[in-house]
Amino acid sequence: MELDKRLKFYRLSRSEYERIESLLGRPPQGVEWALFSALWSEHCSYKSSRVHLKKFAFKSARVRVVESVGENAGIIDLGEGERVAFKMESHNHPSFIEPTQGAATGVGGILRDIFTMGARPVASADYLCFGEPTADRMEALVAGVVKGIGGYGNCVGVPTITGQTEFHASYNTNILVNAMNVGVFQPEDKVFLSKASGPGNYVVYVGAKTGRDGVHGASMASESFDEDSEKKRPNVQIGDPFFEKLLIESCLEAMSENLVVAIQDMGAAGLTSSSFEMASKGNVGFEIHLDRVPLRDPSMSPEEVLLSESQERMLLICEPEKFDRLKSIFDRWDLDATVIGNVVSERKVTLHWRGETLTSLDPHLLVEEAPLYERPFKIWTSQNRVSKREEIFSTLQKALGSKSGSEVLKTILRDFRGASRSWIYRQYDQRVGASTVLDADHSIGALRLKSSGRGLGMVLGCRPYLMRWDARVGAMDAIVHPALELAVKGFEPLAVTDCLNFGNPERESIMSEFVASVEAMSEICKALGTPVISGNVSFYNETLGKNISSTPATGVVGLRRSGVNQIPSDLFESEDDKIFLIRLPQVTLGGALNENLCGSSLGVGELDATQLASFVNRTLEIANRFPIRSSRVVGKFGLAYTLARMGRKRGCRILEEDLGRVGITQKEMLFCENLYEAILVLPEKASGNFLRDLSTHVEAHYLGSVGGDDLQIGEWISLSTQEIQKSYQQGWGETFEALA
Amino acid sequence: MKIGVRIMPRNEVLDTQGRAVEKTLGHHDFKVRCCRVGRYVEIDLDESDERRGLDQAQKMTEFVLHNPLIERYELEVIHEK
Amino acid sequence: MKSSVVGIVRFPGTNCDRDVWEAVEAEGHRARWLWHADLFDVRSVDRIILAGGFSYGDYLRAGALAARSPVMRSIQEAAARGTPVLGICNGFQILCEVGLLPGALVLNTSMKFIDEWAPISLKATNRYWGGSHFSKGTKLNLPIAHAEGRFYTENLQELLDRNQVWWTYENNPNGSLGSVAGVMNREGHVAGLMSHPERAVAEWMGCEQGKLFFKSDV
Repeated sequence: MELDKRLKFYRLSRSEYERIESLLGRPPQGVEWALFSALWSEHCSYKSSRVHLKKFAFKSARVRVVESVGENAGIIDLGEGERVAFKMESHNHPSFIEPTQGAATGVGGILRDIFTMGARPVASADYLCFGEPTADRMEALVAGVVKGIGGYGNCVGVPTITGQTEFHASYNTNILVNAMNVGVFQPEDKVFLSKASGPGNYVVYVGAKTGRDGVHGASMASESFDEDSEKKRPNVQIGDPFFEKLLIESCLEAMSENLVVAIQDMGAAGLTSSSFEMASKGNVGFEIHLDRVPLRDPSMSPEEVLLSESQERMLLICEPEKFDRLKSIFDRWDLDATVIGNVVSERKVTLHWRGETLTSLDPHLLVEEAPLYERPFKIWTSQNRVSKREEIFSTLQKALGSKSGSEVLKTILRDFRGASRSWIYRQYDQRVGASTVLDADHSIGALRLKSSGRGLGMVLGCRPYLMRWDARVGAMDAIVHPALELAVKGFEPLAVTDCLNFGNPERESIMSEFVASVEAMSEICKALGTPVISGNVSFYNETLGKNISSTPATGVVGLRRSGVNQIPSDLFESEDDKIFLIRLPQVTLGGALNENLCGSSLGVGELDATQLASFVNRTLEIANRFPIRSSRVVGKFGLAYTLARMGRKRGCRILEEDLGRVGITQKEMLFCENLYEAILVLPEKASGNFLRDLSTHVEAHYLGSVGGDDLQIGEWISLSTQEIQKSYQQGWGETFEALA
Repeated sequence: MKIGVRIMPRNEVLDTQGRAVEKTLGHHDFKVRCCRVGRYVEIDLDESDERRGLDQAQKMTEFVLHNPLIERYELEVIHEK
Repeated sequence: MKSSVVGIVRFPGTNCDRDVWEAVEAEGHRARWLWHADLFDVRSVDRIILAGGFSYGDYLRAGALAARSPVMRSIQEAAARGTPVLGICNGFQILCEVGLLPGALVLNTSMKFIDEWAPISLKATNRYWGGSHFSKGTKLNLPIAHAEGRFYTENLQELLDRNQVWWTYENNPNGSLGSVAGVMNREGHVAGLMSHPERAVAEWMGCEQGKLFFKSDV
């Protein structure tokens, strides 16, 4: 009875308890319970996903990977001495409880993962999924999350340059807040790892004092929400971007003077995970005096000190003779640097507290020996297919009734799912750092690399409506779509980070979607040569038995080797420019409009990773070889909506007979989605032989020309650029009245 | 009648603003053991009964003025001379 | 144009310091840091820039805690000797807090942080910052990024009469009194601007005229 209660409190299963007992040769005692609870949680141990994540591992011919999964963040080599570190992480549960602080600490955490490695954080991106606008607390959640992201990023001085925001009922009681950050190593900067070494070296605690914030947070993030969650809630973690800014500058300064042997952020499960992981990776031990940890509240127990998730703290290893210099740097930035222990050669972490030894454990037991689960799943089979494409069109036709094409398009532009997100990103500083080339107003974010002058692009992926239609297609799209968005702007997609948000993995249907997603992503990543170098799995996005749509969010990073001031625009720019469509239509579906109108989407076809990879590569070649003036990947809501978004400044004229050659013979087809298509616009002079030149590359068609103040698509759509802009900008305020 | 609502960060929660102010004061040789920064809201009510007034103010405070996750509050009747 | 030494102030939380450094050096000047906790020899710098950011997290009031730093004593001394001082964004807020510039910068009317390209137009020339590169009516499109940028003063007319209103917004994004985006002191050598010229010094940034602020004719 007593045992059951303890197991419940520490969120350990009986079999896990038995495993601990056999590893220790005795039952766990005292703080050991808390240690195992934290480090064996899903959040820290990846026990349900590790088996499958191995599928991501491969050697890329495209890019040299410097560091990969297992470190604080992944790093790739861009050549010319420049390297970038990047990673994406979830902060879903805390953001649902307290949106502003939850989102803020999410941003803070991912920043620390980057500068821990020695890279200066240069750009952030946020992938957000909210519920229906009318759902309980939803307006406040949207406002709070945006405030938290902006408040933290703006103050710390890292621009937020791109993002994605989705809405769906499945997120009503479990929103998603995924933050990505990219950091740059200049040619002279060294990479720092979390692997501790050097017996006799100091274990140094730097940054903010420890409080009771978020005690038991990691294990809480590893189970579903229920009515009790409110009560179990740990103290909200408060983020302080000002403090983080000081931590960034002081850490980077200490690193530039080579005063750091190893370093890790105190993130989930705080001091516990950082100390045991650093020791385990380095195959060494630590003597740690918990009573030397700077405390905000002196009445804290050792267990609370171990599990606190107070923000803006780091654990680092420093050679004793370099400590004085290290301390003077942190002093100058007004931060604490305290020696709390030292490295020992025997692989044992010993925790002391006021003259008493609390425990002495082999760190491998907590890290390497964490349980591994092969949760049951089913082999993926195609979902929601119809036998003929015509069924898709007729379904849409029925749903749209007698509405004209222009009316349909206007409705989409004004719908909160199709309207501009400028309300969100206007609250983010997109230019601090003075490197931003493409801000959040663009389809991709891009920076100019200071040392080489080349362009660094980043874009997020995963369209949840595609995941709901077919997880395999949706997950592959989470890589292909952003990769293609980079390619049409002349950026070579290089590597990927992901944040796999799923429901309860103990449910077979969820696990099946997870496995299908990981397999689809690894298949396309291999085909593209873009390795997944970092990431995060967030399971148990389940509230009162309801699971979120499986959402494998991604961030893809790419490189443009020259001409950062010649990146194709997202908009139609010049009269008489010629508009072309390149395509590889493997899947056709009703897509986002279909789902909005009918609750679900219909479609045909399958994606082929090899062909898609070659399509992306060819698109990149085209973007770099021809003087492309404007470009855009045809995305959600299909061709008409994509053309409308390009036509916010200048109109275009597209004739029915030209559409007919693409196979578009009725207005509904303008709203269907083909995976994949992209629009390329060239100056008239350069467009003469374009189709002929492309014929050996890809399927390409002439669509029409840029010009006038209207979007004219056949006889079906006629909308002025003014009307387009107005609808697109008004949509947000009409939905979120209180936020307008 | 006027009711004052004093809203302070909960003691167990980190007060980032208080920490920054405390440090600055310390750098200028002011001896400060701890500094916490909160908010003060005055609500003027069309009400003469103190009990009812405080009751209404409490409802308003809990409705929007304070965030129970990170803040606590105290109400007081403001007696103007 | 001669090369000069430009002191750039670093408070804890300043985050545009490195951007300003690059903009200054790109114009052929020598930049050097002025650390918040230190006094400095006022003869060692020809000009001083207080860069944007969130000094002390903008806690209490934007600029309030920074205004009490030791370095500000030197800056006041330098200003008294006539050394040109420019405050950008948070730097502007700090200069108002110490009283080197008139007025105050308060929360935007939208009560939100605003990041956007905001066109401004020159109201009165300033021979120290931008000098002859701008003339009355010059229009520039520069980025703004702030939550507390709404200019307020009790005597706008006086400032206008004395040609102390430097730049005004074309479409007042933050609700500033008189659409004021930048002001200067009576002599003109101390100036403040909410817009970020250092973020508009190259074509790829979207505008390159911001560099004119970092040139020097004096």
